[in-house]
Amino acid sequence: MIPPPEINWFALLPLLVLGLGAAAVLLVDVQMKPHPKWLVRMAAAVLLATAAGALLQGWWLRRLEAGETVGTPLPFSGFLIVDRYAIFGTLLLAAIALLGLGAGQRFIVSLGRRAAEAIALVLLSTSGFMLMLSTPQLVMMFLGLEIGSISLYVVAGFSRQERQSEEAAIKYFLLGSFASAIFIYGVALVYAATGSLQLFEQQELLSRVAFVKPGVLLIGLALLIVGLAFKVTAAPFHGWAPDVYQGAPAGMVGFMAAAAKVGGFAALARIMATAFEGYIETWATVVAGIAVLSMIVGSFLAVVQSDFRRLLAYSGVAHAGFILTGIVAGEAGIGSIWFYLAVYTVQLVGAYAVVAAVSGASSAGSPLASYAGLAKRQPMLAHALTVLLLGMAGIPLTSGFIAKFGVFQDAFRAGFGWLVVVALLASVVSFFIYLRVIVTMYMEEPLEDRVLVLTVPLRLVLWTTLAMTVVFGLFPVPLLRLTAISLPL
Amino acid sequence: MVELVVFVLMGGGALAGGVTVIKARNPVYSAMGLLGTLFAIAVLYVMQLAHFVAAVQVIVYAGAVLTLFLFVIMMVGVDKEEDVRETIPHQRRLALALGLIAIGIVVSLVARGRFAWVPVASAAADPQATNGTVQALAEPMFTDWVLAFEATALLLTIAAAGTIALASFRRPVADTAAERTGV
Repeated sequence: MIPPPEINWFALLPLLVLGLGAAAVLLVDVQMKPHPKWLVRMAAAVLLATAAGALLQGWWLRRLEAGETVGTPLPFSGFLIVDRYAIFGTLLLAAIALLGLGAGQRFIVSLGRRAAEAIALVLLSTSGFMLMLSTPQLVMMFLGLEIGSISLYVVAGFSRQERQSEEAAIKYFLLGSFASAIFIYGVALVYAATGSLQLFEQQELLSRVAFVKPGVLLIGLALLIVGLAFKVTAAPFHGWAPDVYQGAPAGMVGFMAAAAKVGGFAALARIMATAFEGYIETWATVVAGIAVLSMIVGSFLAVVQSDFRRLLAYSGVAHAGFILTGIVAGEAGIGSIWFYLAVYTVQLVGAYAVVAAVSGASSAGSPLASYAGLAKRQPMLAHALTVLLLGMAGIPLTSGFIAKFGVFQDAFRAGFGWLVVVALLASVVSFFIYLRVIVTMYMEEPLEDRVLVLTVPLRLVLWTTLAMTVVFGLFPVPLLRLTAISLPL
Repeated sequence: MVELVVFVLMGGGALAGGVTVIKARNPVYSAMGLLGTLFAIAVLYVMQLAHFVAAVQVIVYAGAVLTLFLFVIMMVGVDKEEDVRETIPHQRRLALALGLIAIGIVVSLVARGRFAWVPVASAAADPQATNGTVQALAEPMFTDWVLAFEATALLLTIAAAGTIALASFRRPVADTAAERTGV
């Protein structure tokens, strides 16, 4: 007779709401066949409920720390963790999914009867990445990674009438599976070296035992880094990103890129800062190397792109490098990494929302030429994109500046001065990239005069992302305070 | 003694099945030979107390994979003349060499007594051993690992939703017509 396991529903709350919400969307579609826009609204409600669940967990955690209630932050035999790190990540992912659904609303409605599947996959992908960052258990982390990624492979291929979308899906699927295999191989080797799959048990063992021959452990660690570096499009594992982010349906790309980055970086930072904090001397150099390569490759290759979506993908590679400069600082850098992720991913969703408005929601590709004279055709889009790009470039008075300053400062304090110098140079180059797009929008004459329709959800997404870019640039302190306490247990 | 008899019977069965796979003229007989081999090996697993692996062997390999093989054979056509010319140069000589190397490795391992990686549990040696049984697997799966087990449900939902989403797509009519005429 096997004793029944103890189920902690409270720790499961956000995941449960999302999973049931995804199932509900599918079932409601089958039973009632509502207009797709109602399904989008339903999904938005589910995401808001998820965020509320996460906030409830935060309140519970505070009471737990004050000793007013009993319980464990590590329920399910240490397979799940309720800490500020996971709660902040959950809130961020819910916000990204909400913005992503707003940006993709026109695309989803255009899908007709397939809309429910698209919405359900977005919700399930979000739940996967949430699972990934709220577990200290490596197999669970792998499961979350797969749940998140496999949904994204399908989403990339949704607009199959475009050849590039099919190409994006199959490319993402094959290379993504390869990266997942590398990650799980790393998990196996770390398990072989430490005899545990749980980060805290590994941390305890590694702080107690000094390996004479840490070969297996270090190879495992390297494979974990490579697997996650692939997901966050860090060079030299970025090869798939431009093709996938160019071919996938425009309305969905922002969510795809942002969610995968949040999940990947959150998992990487948790693994590195928890289990392997004692080995920081070893892995920080490797991560710094990947960061330098990402910043250089991303910035310089972005300069020569003639397609705006490829440009954003390559600049995403550079941004992955900037975030990695925060990772080298170990646990001290986590606050800055959260701030950077929160600021950048929101800008990314906003920028791809503009792409969806300019090139059509299900299109593949978005040549820079179609942005010529955008300021005359649709000033709102041009202004919005300008602010978002300036934010990505890290101009003072935008949130991007505070974000970059934070990670550079942490890297400098950790003794990586040379890394900061490279990062500053890369920032200058990337500023040139964004400036080029802005010049195209304002200085050149429009090549086409098709009317660009802005739907209400799209306007909401643009205004929200704009507000966040400007407000967190002028008054960053509340968000800085929040990210500074969003540390892993 | 019982162990030896079962081993000889099942080992012989596995070998006979293997020979059938290669020698049978009809591909369906080959598939049946493979089925015999898989079953015989499953019995050998049970003897080693690896009940779970044995069950998986029967369900997944004998059940699913072999059915897939049969599907393909039937789709291609059983009574079709096969082109049996060997296209890989020196195929037979290479196969012989690799086979001899494999036998050499096994013989040398046995000769040196390197059995450290062979599990000692066996039904005859220890009837109480639970290592590798279905129960030993079920207990952690439904207690400590219950969350991971349940999370795979999300993967199944994704598979179903993803298949519907990608398969129920219809190319615009004009598009397919253009493709058919090769324009």
